[in-house]
Amino acid sequence: MASAKIVQLQSLKPDLHERAWVSIPHPNLPLIATAHGKNVTVFSLSTLSLHSVLADGHSRSVRSVAWKPSLPPNNLCLITGSFDSSAGVWRWANGDDESADYSADDLSQDMTRGITKEDSAKAGDWDYNLVLEGHDSEIKGCAFSPSGAYLATCSRDKSIWIWEDIASAESEDDWETIAVLNEHEGDVKAVAWCPDVPGRNNIGQRYYSVDVLASASYDNTARIWREDSDGEWVCVAVLQGHQGTVWGVEWEPRPMNDAFPRLLTFSADGTIRVWTLEQGEDGADDGAIPQDRLGGIPSTMRRSFREQWNCTAVLPKVHDKDVYSVTWSAESGLVASTGSDGVVALYKEDSDDVSNFRPPPGENTADGSSRSNHDGSAAGGPQWQLLTTVPNAHGPYEINHITWCRRHDAGSTRRGEEEMLVTTGDDGVVQSWQVDVNSS
Amino acid sequence: MAAAALDNANPTILSASQLPTRQKRSAPRNGPDCRYSDLIFAKPSYMSRPFLQDDDIRYQDDTATADDLSAEPIDEQEIYDLISSITDPEHPVSLGQLSVINLPDIHITPSPALGVPSPNTIVQVTVELTPTVTHCSLATVLGLGVRVRLEQVLPPNYRVEVICKENSHSQDDQVNKQLSDKERVAAALENDSLRSVLDKMLESCLEN
Repeated sequence: MASAKIVQLQSLKPDLHERAWVSIPHPNLPLIATAHGKNVTVFSLSTLSLHSVLADGHSRSVRSVAWKPSLPPNNLCLITGSFDSSAGVWRWANGDDESADYSADDLSQDMTRGITKEDSAKAGDWDYNLVLEGHDSEIKGCAFSPSGAYLATCSRDKSIWIWEDIASAESEDDWETIAVLNEHEGDVKAVAWCPDVPGRNNIGQRYYSVDVLASASYDNTARIWREDSDGEWVCVAVLQGHQGTVWGVEWEPRPMNDAFPRLLTFSADGTIRVWTLEQGEDGADDGAIPQDRLGGIPSTMRRSFREQWNCTAVLPKVHDKDVYSVTWSAESGLVASTGSDGVVALYKEDSDDVSNFRPPPGENTADGSSRSNHDGSAAGGPQWQLLTTVPNAHGPYEINHITWCRRHDAGSTRRGEEEMLVTTGDDGVVQSWQVDVNSS
Repeated sequence: MAAAALDNANPTILSASQLPTRQKRSAPRNGPDCRYSDLIFAKPSYMSRPFLQDDDIRYQDDTATADDLSAEPIDEQEIYDLISSITDPEHPVSLGQLSVINLPDIHITPSPALGVPSPNTIVQVTVELTPTVTHCSLATVLGLGVRVRLEQVLPPNYRVEVICKENSHSQDDQVNKQLSDKERVAAALENDSLRSVLDKMLESCLEN
């Protein structure tokens, strides 16, 4: 039985003094962007203090942000999704070349320099390069595909838009809409792309391109979307089981045995569910074999391109109301959740059960299918255990977001490697937490 | 709101004296029977001694009152007083007078009878609305007004839930779901036209 402790570290300075919705760490640099009010504040994770502010871009609240991944060194690009129905494309303009200092290599070579470089970084500033318009109402979420090729935005208008930057140079912005996905029956609360891991790339290549998008909605469902061989984006699965709004989706960042990543969904019904793609004998996706080539038939009618996703676990129940955010660590495999009750909870998957439960492709089927249930109620024993909880993590306030991120501050003994949790609350505080787990 | 568009053109309206109050408030006495009150109830002369400032007396009185307040948990009547004075968006009368808000339909957990909750104890306040007619399209706006009013004045450990009383409204599930969606509520408050309707509804609360 493992035991765990969550210890409060510092809050990031300054406090924002208004509701903050979300804090997203940069994929490899020591930066974290927090959406609050109509602005975004970027904090340095080296100094745990202000890096820069993105202001005067939106007429209503910024609800979500996304860092563009895989950029050349010295480039930063942030997308802001706003209640004003638009998404903003922001690029960091260096004051001069000497602040070309944000490459991860540089930082890992000499972490102490990160702090002094803060000053030169402040010489630069954010340019509001482009407004992405098209949604009819509030944008609630935005996310980049792992390669950075696609941006997905989702809205209260029930649609998901997929955008592609087709500009020839990275510094230019020429975005076009490549798909509008309309099947949700309520607000689309969040979107997330499946990470680029071997498990993703081994499966489903016969019928779809590699990118897989998941969405969560006010209609109580989550959906899985893929691009078929005709270049059409189609819904390949509807994940039903939650009894309230699905606030978000979180992919498994590092699956074992090269399995296809699993998906967590979390909801206003207070539960967190684990979903697994049913894979066939040869590791391929039986569930997605088209019975016929249906060229020419509208995508909404291609029902045969289905994937079978099963709810294979429900995490131990902690939250009695809305679960607003869940984060899954690539490093430790630990899951943390938070919500309107202001509680932070930490869960661990039973490693004994994992091998049993999720055999590598090729050995599975009977066991896996007997434990799962298509209606979304999980069968089988307890596969996840609750390690610990922190009540009132932001005092009496609701917590809107939680994320794992790397520690880069002076207090860490393994800078750039050690992980911490960061929570973002209605009190405008962005709080970091150290997690200690002892397995005995 | 155009008169022709009224959802309920002829609602039942209670008079102020029929509404629940904490105690019978005696009307201010200004009639002939209190002509000599100033003399009778005048401050005794010993309190006018130069070293005893008026301020001191007031200060002592204030602390006594403040203690009383902090020692008393927020109860259903207090919630009622906060929201029953909200003005209906269609009629120039309060939600209390329209019986949209009713004292027995306000629930607090943990119960205020258990004493003052600690500042970190999450207190659930549930207000059941009774819209004036079953198809009232304004139920969402009413609910939003109640939620906003309470969130403005209650301490941060109070969670407000506003729901339509069961069977009182033909789409109550939809209304309830909207009203409990924090993101939708936040976005609605940034909608200028809705905001001005809400401000007008809440104006009457601020007068007292």
